Amino acid sequence: MEVARVTELPGELRYIQYEHVLEEQYLPAIRALISKDLSEPYSIYVYRYFLYQWAHLCYMALNPADNSLIGVIICKLEPHASHSPPTHRGYIAMLAVSSAYRGHGIATSLVKMSIDAMAERNADEIVLETEETNLPAMRLYERLGFLRSKKLHRYYLNGNSAYRLVLLLKPMSLGEEHQSD
Amino acid sequence: MEQHAPQSLPPRPNPSHPGVMAVDITDNFWAAVKTLAPGELVKDGHFTLFESVGALEIMDPKMDSGCLAEGESLDEEYSVTRDLLPEEVLGIMDQLLCLEMAWHQGYPLSQTLLTSVYVEVLTKTHPTTIEEVTFTGSSETEKNLPTLLFALKAYCIGLLKGCDFVNELVKDELYYEEEDFVTNSFGRNILLYDVELRPVNDMLQKARAELRVMNNKPSKDIAMALDIRLELRIAFLRAMELSALRTANPESLKMPWIQMHGLIEHIKKQHSLGKPVPDAFSTKLQRRLASTLPPRPIVYLSFEETHEHFRRLFKDGKEIMDVLKYSDPQSLLTFVSTFQARKPQPLPCIRTLLQNLMFKDNVFLGSYTIRQLIDHDLSIVSLPCATQLDLANDTIEVPTDPRHRTSNEMTIFRQRVEECYLDVFRIFCQNRCRVRRTLCHNIQAWDALQADVEEIDTRLQELLAEKPLQTESGSVGYSLPLSSWAYLYKLRQMEWIVQLGFELSVYQTDELAGMYWYVNYLAKTRAQHGDRIKTFVMRSLTASRASNSYTAAKDREYMRTLSYIRATMLDAACTWEFADGLCCLYTVLNRLGLIKSPPRPYSNDALRYEIRMKPFMTIGLPQLPTFDEFTKATAQPETAVDALLTYAESAVGGAKKGYEALSKMTDGQTFSVGCHGRWLANVKDCLKAAISAGIAVTTLQKTIAKVGDGGELKLKVEMPEAGKGYHDWWIVPKIVPTG
Ligand SMILES: CC(C)(COP(=O)(O)OP(=O)(O)OC[C@H]1O[C@@H](n2cnc3c(N)ncnc32)[C@H](O)[C@@H]1OP(=O)(O)O)[C@@H](O)C(=O)NCCC(=O)NCCS
Repeated sequence: MEVARVTELPGELRYIQYEHVLEEQYLPAIRALISKDLSEPYSIYVYRYFLYQWAHLCYMALNPADNSLIGVIICKLEPHASHSPPTHRGYIAMLAVSSAYRGHGIATSLVKMSIDAMAERNADEIVLETEETNLPAMRLYERLGFLRSKKLHRYYLNGNSAYRLVLLLKPMSLGEEHQSD
Repeated sequence: MEQHAPQSLPPRPNPSHPGVMAVDITDNFWAAVKTLAPGELVKDGHFTLFESVGALEIMDPKMDSGCLAEGESLDEEYSVTRDLLPEEVLGIMDQLLCLEMAWHQGYPLSQTLLTSVYVEVLTKTHPTTIEEVTFTGSSETEKNLPTLLFALKAYCIGLLKGCDFVNELVKDELYYEEEDFVTNSFGRNILLYDVELRPVNDMLQKARAELRVMNNKPSKDIAMALDIRLELRIAFLRAMELSALRTANPESLKMPWIQMHGLIEHIKKQHSLGKPVPDAFSTKLQRRLASTLPPRPIVYLSFEETHEHFRRLFKDGKEIMDVLKYSDPQSLLTFVSTFQARKPQPLPCIRTLLQNLMFKDNVFLGSYTIRQLIDHDLSIVSLPCATQLDLANDTIEVPTDPRHRTSNEMTIFRQRVEECYLDVFRIFCQNRCRVRRTLCHNIQAWDALQADVEEIDTRLQELLAEKPLQTESGSVGYSLPLSSWAYLYKLRQMEWIVQLGFELSVYQTDELAGMYWYVNYLAKTRAQHGDRIKTFVMRSLTASRASNSYTAAKDREYMRTLSYIRATMLDAACTWEFADGLCCLYTVLNRLGLIKSPPRPYSNDALRYEIRMKPFMTIGLPQLPTFDEFTKATAQPETAVDALLTYAESAVGGAKKGYEALSKMTDGQTFSVGCHGRWLANVKDCLKAAISAGIAVTTLQKTIAKVGDGGELKLKVEMPEAGKGYHDWWIVPKIVPTG
């Protein structure tokens, strides 16, 4: 489905952090925006799983004209224990910008805001997965400093593979028991 | 993020089971709810991401498989006993073939074969004998099935039984559930596990016989097409059955695969005679499975794709039988690695069949012990004619006798290395992403193993009274043949990890200079190590020749090792030269700004080096270069562009000569016995890549010479599309003029 792109943004976008009180107003739009690019919808529990625990790592880009949702990023940050020593690992779970508004740096701003928020909360690293064919997403993350660390075979339900992308924010402690998974 | 819920959730509890005591919690619920404000969320501490992804929303048709549209019935209304035209039977068989292939590709039965109403009916009663597998539900009425329906039934049963073989095969070997393949059969005997093979074959033959004498119903072409499809099922079962006979003549094991390879071409030509019956397939059947999964769509492969995949499957099945023509472990490794490097990669069932042929029941290739395999390998790589491998040691029972103790030490050695060693072969049978990931783990194991084995070496050198080697340049120390062997394997695996990184497009363009520098570093280390092994083999050879027990057989064994070392060192030299050349070329492109690095405001070079080199960070030997060493060696700030390009030219030229030399060597000399064709094709692709790298370097040199210092280059760099270059491990840029 081709959507006509806007050549100019409707003024200065509003970027706001998500809060639970906004659920009724924005969760349906968030779900709709993210589901567009998924082969199967996530249940509401997946959204709430993230938003309830890490609302402070979720940001929305809103249209200044009517406060409608244009873009969203959803993350989490917690100790990652399959490492020893464990790292404090940030994870970008979902990111989407409404197709008409793509190519204006909106996703880049959203990602930067969440990286900043996670760095402020002492994240050691930030990781995410993206479909191997999703070049726009990969370019965006790589421009910011992420590296592909590995390829994951048939990671998605549609049979496509993924890349794991990693952004290291702090040097790993030396001599740690390495793990590459 | 990851999209899937697991394919296999536990079955729903049965609330009417006598062990379940129902308690009414309505009152408790109302009481609890009163303490909450509307819209307030409560999260249970045990509710994980995994559970949230597996959770469903009731009454959402995309998630709730029991949610019905207005007037929709829960069950499929298609009757399997309805009359079918011959072309419809043919159409259904071909649709099943497409679904079978989708299953081979890694999609679950629920989205493939189990969407067939026929398959569903045949297997819904958990049949354990062929008589119980029915369309009509009664063995009496079943006897009167019309011929065409009987043929379809035989086809389905043959198909399912064939899938059962595949499923069991896969489950026995190393593979990744849901990533490579889904073995889950949703709590049902869908694949007729309990039904014996013999009656299935009989039924298929009977169906063919009945079709032949059928009263002039189908046209001759269609009758033939039906017959060939039944024949395919018989051949498939035969192929699977035969593969258990690993000691048989490999040529005879190939027969059914060759037969199927022919049949599938006929099937392709006949496909248009059939008429699809879309109603005979439905996702609704998923509702009957022991699973709480949301309904998922049928996976449709086109018939053309299906044909192409089967054609390759049958060809691969034939080819892997050659693995049974064992020559030596190094050729075997070449066999496996070159076979698995093919694009697209062989299907999971072939990859597991290959493992099965090699290692089933811990009997290697059906004939050898793992000990024979390991000893054979050692005798080629570092221990020709060695006391350590003398079988006579085992017969000495005096505990103080050095031979007895040597035998003990070697037993400890084999126990220590067996798993890691066999893993190298198994890892190569995985999907390419997993090969790289698993090798990253395996080198940690080999690093530890090398250290442990060195202790065994030390004890053995005392037992065998080995003297350190003195040369003009000083002491080279002891031979350490076992740990040397381990080190060589570790180095190869480290190179493969980086090379697979190129193949899988893991590196960004501006990283290539550094990664090729590291390949060069590893390959150089391997060549030096090969040289060390050679020094000790030569010492042993000289001593052996001087003794009066030197025989022609011993000479052959020494020469084989020297030949192995020569091939290894030549291969390592090609790799290091080519990598060196590409490193210099990419460094120049980075320096001239023809390759641009992204801004990366959140990262720096040192942090990215840590991520990139993480698999190698803890390896003791060869130690990972520090970030400063790496940066200096890659960027070579003191060397001018001209000099870098001159250097690249000669390095790439050296690699070219090396590959040419390799390509002229025999299968015996290069340890590619039984797979020389594939091995040679690989060397030739490397050669082509080296030639194109040479062209890139020359183009750059000429342009720079023409423009002079500081002039505008008017060039751009075109990177080959992933997998479209001459060789996936050698990413060579194209330098093109811009106007
Ligand atoms: C991936 C996705 C989030 C990118 O959103 P976006 O807002 O278009 O991203 P950006 O605008 O930040 O970056 C896209 C391009 O615009 C350019 N751009 C950045 N800032 C800009 C600005 N201020 N003005 C104009 N263009 C700009 C970027 O350079 C980038 O160019 P590139 O395509 O050559 O790399 C969007 O395509 C999307 O929603 N896709 C579907 C969902 C998805 O794939 N999510 C990611 C899963 S991990």
